[in-house]
Amino acid sequence: MDEIKLILLLFSLIIILFGFIALPALGKGILYDIGLLLLIITALFIIAMNWIDARLFSAITSLFGITFRPAKDYTINKQQNAVIKEVNGIFYATGYMTANLFSYTFKAEQAPEDDESKMIGAPEAWERMVMNIDFPFKFHVLASGLDVQKIRDELEGKRSYQEFQLSRAMQNNSSETAVTEIRRNMSIIQSKIDRISQGEKPIATIMYVETTAIGVSEKASLDALTSQLDQLRLSFSAMDVETTRIIGRELYSLFNFNFSIPTEFKQLTAMFDQQS
Amino acid sequence: MVNYIGMFLGLIIVSAILLGIVMLAPSLIIPAYIKIIIFIIALLFDAMAFTSRYYSYILSPLFKQHKKHLVLSNENPYWLAQSGDTILKKSGEDFIATVYISIPVYRSATEMGDDEKLDFAQQISRLVGLAKVPTRYTTELYVMNKDSYIQKLKETITMTENEEAELQSHDAPKNELDRVRGKLAMWRNMLDSISKGYSFELSTYITVSATGSKEYEASSLAQQKARELMSGVGSIFGVPPSIITGTDLLRFVEPEYLIPISTVTEQISKNIQEQVI
Repeated sequence: MDEIKLILLLFSLIIILFGFIALPALGKGILYDIGLLLLIITALFIIAMNWIDARLFSAITSLFGITFRPAKDYTINKQQNAVIKEVNGIFYATGYMTANLFSYTFKAEQAPEDDESKMIGAPEAWERMVMNIDFPFKFHVLASGLDVQKIRDELEGKRSYQEFQLSRAMQNNSSETAVTEIRRNMSIIQSKIDRISQGEKPIATIMYVETTAIGVSEKASLDALTSQLDQLRLSFSAMDVETTRIIGRELYSLFNFNFSIPTEFKQLTAMFDQQS
Repeated sequence: MVNYIGMFLGLIIVSAILLGIVMLAPSLIIPAYIKIIIFIIALLFDAMAFTSRYYSYILSPLFKQHKKHLVLSNENPYWLAQSGDTILKKSGEDFIATVYISIPVYRSATEMGDDEKLDFAQQISRLVGLAKVPTRYTTELYVMNKDSYIQKLKETITMTENEEAELQSHDAPKNELDRVRGKLAMWRNMLDSISKGYSFELSTYITVSATGSKEYEASSLAQQKARELMSGVGSIFGVPPSIITGTDLLRFVEPEYLIPISTVTEQISKNIQEQVI
């Protein structure tokens, strides 16, 4: 959670606290109980919005049947999982899902050896996957270079913290599992530092898949889109990729990326958090 | 960012004022049943304030429009620059120009050895790490628009038929006639097989955007970024990348160019067949 989100959460919860102080002004009885119930619901809603905002918001728009027009000729459906365009009576539904191909390389403990075999297998796996797909799709990698020194400093800070944790675990005679876990984390951090030292440039990436389906009605196009996304999910699973269908505000951002992408890294990080 | 912070502060202050009224106003002036309504509104504003962090683009039209189909924008999402090589979009007072660069890589993993595969994967990694600014790398599989190709084939068939007729009228040697007839059969078979289904094409391209206070400023900045990227791509793959222009650009932007209208009937019937099966 970033600092801004934390501050907003804090202020919103302070208002809830004010609400508790204001409760006695409603008198004792049914109004007091209703007020208390509403306060609890609002507090739960705010906390839930903090973690699962996309799902919650899409549930609200589905419930009330709210749809959006993000631009001329385009509509975002009430489930907020597709952008629809109607051209000459044909509906084109576009949907997105995350597909972080490279995540494993930076999480892996034995990165270099593991990477090499995966990298040799990647072109063929990709080609096989593309050959088995019989509908249009796009695979996007949105990348931005990061400040090498800043990342290195951050990693060194994390390594020092893990070293401190390790020495404390040793002093307290902690379990073997806990010590192994800390050592494993240290090894991952060290491998990242080594890779940066070898000249590898740290980059931030957002990877996603976009597909468009057609139909003679909105429903037909949405059904076809769901089936295409399921097929893509199956195909990408062969490449050891985690996939999640994108809904809500991130869908709106990705729709806008078709026409322009953010020009600064800050803008990118402000747009994506949980789904990507 | 300023937009949502302003909205957040506005909503949170209104919420606090309403709660203050509930707390401080004597029951004789505002009865309890009115206070509970004010209390509910205050809580709604509080929830909306937190929601504005990510959904300010929706909350503002929601307040103004009061309907189920919210219009966030009624304008075209972009327009093509006069030069035809950039798409432009307005964002507040600024313009955002976006340039698409095609990477003509025609290598297949089936023709590569292990070393070449590793080399190719490393080239892709280098490509992704090329830019310091946000850059998008895309591989797109799209349905080929074969209308012009089919037209070309038909013209070739007509020309070959004329050639055959001319040879026949001049009593040409049999081997020459056979050669032309063979050619004609080949083109006809190709037309048959091409017309039967739809074909796909795979393209790889880079997208880069730049902001400017004037259209030309944004365009020239985006072009400059694109040129820098193109020199990097050229040195990694040894191919000449090019800036995509004109209607080719639309294939990466508009869904109806991704699936050309002439192929739609085939695809819909394929979808229906799949559903039936």
